[in-house]
Amino acid sequence: MGQFIQPFLMFGLCVLGGAGVLLALPRGGRSPQILGALGAGLVLGLALLALGLTAGPDHPSVYFYIFSALGLGAALRVITHPRPVYAALYFVLTVIATGGLFLLLSAEFMAFSLIIVYAGAILITYLFVIMLATQAPEEDEVEALADYDTSAREPIAATVAGFLLLALLTSFFFRGINNVQPGALAPSPTLLAEMPLKIERALESHGLLKTGERVALDDSKHAIITDAGVKISGGASGDRVVAKSDWPNDLEVTNIERVGFNLLRDHPGTIEIAGVILLMAMLGAVVLSRKQVQIDDEAKRLQALKLGDSAGGGT
Amino acid sequence: MTLAQSGMPAAMGGATLGHYLLVSAILFCLGLIGFLTRRNLIIMFLCTELMFQAAGLALIAFGRFHMSFTGQTFVIFVLTVAAAEAAMALALVVLLFRRRESLDAEAWQDMKG
Repeated sequence: MGQFIQPFLMFGLCVLGGAGVLLALPRGGRSPQILGALGAGLVLGLALLALGLTAGPDHPSVYFYIFSALGLGAALRVITHPRPVYAALYFVLTVIATGGLFLLLSAEFMAFSLIIVYAGAILITYLFVIMLATQAPEEDEVEALADYDTSAREPIAATVAGFLLLALLTSFFFRGINNVQPGALAPSPTLLAEMPLKIERALESHGLLKTGERVALDDSKHAIITDAGVKISGGASGDRVVAKSDWPNDLEVTNIERVGFNLLRDHPGTIEIAGVILLMAMLGAVVLSRKQVQIDDEAKRLQALKLGDSAGGGT
Repeated sequence: MTLAQSGMPAAMGGATLGHYLLVSAILFCLGLIGFLTRRNLIIMFLCTELMFQAAGLALIAFGRFHMSFTGQTFVIFVLTVAAAEAAMALALVVLLFRRRESLDAEAWQDMKG
């Protein structure tokens, strides 16, 4: 396997992408935003094409391209769209596309919890706050965009910083990512032995368990799995072994079961810490939002003055 | 189609580890640029969520590559932190908005030392 992608190509794409994003950033209507967005999209397409050409014999599936193009395009709109509500909705699209990528990585549980937690809960909270914190337009005026939404702060410096970071991050492609060795899957029988009920159900649904028979348990309530197969006891004909070659297909440890074992057996403290963090966040949010705020009259007057000045019609 | 049945580290939707890391890096940098350029407080926090997404994607891609499930466990933790951050940050934003009637981050410029 050769270079993942040519260095000059990669850095050139970084520069072009930076120029595209720079043009796409809102600058008070003076910037050719659509042109910039199209340019950035084009560069993204070129990058993906270059990746596809260098991928070698096993091409990435078309879903990888669809999901990553959707996710990155929507992310570009999140940072360039002048209306906050639309930015939040585009972020939902990014979340869904990332969920799709998680599915491709066969992390089903994380994909769906990402969509439920992010798109379902967090983003709705964001939308609520955006609506709370936006003044409703008067009866007969067109909805005006706030000045701070239509013009970016330091667009050139920020884009240069961002794409410099990208170039640095991607330089790992040229220094030995090909030498990283993939790991092997831990053998499933050791995990399977801890789930005798699952074994029993799977065997039963495939008619491999006669009436009265149960999976034999050892002292620690684990199923007894040897190289030959799983031990069954309690039947009329005494103990026997269901050979591994007879095992039904669904007698495999699934992804979510492995995540569950990893979470609860290998990292039990994580759940506790997560619970404490969520509790603290809830208390903090309650305390903060109960606080009575005296509107800073002086600051408000100044702000109104500034707004009047920038509109050009103030006194 | 479960992971255990496929049992093949190489098959990550046909793409290699590098593909996912590249997507994740681009997503992170877009989030960073958004955080630096946008002046709306809410959008700034939205951009940090973008960076969380990128981190989660890299974690899961590495976890799949090394066949370790700790990556996925850690993403659960990232989700928790993101939820906690959203709750606190949005409560703060509402408080700040009520005080200055503006979401502009530069309305609070006088706080810099």
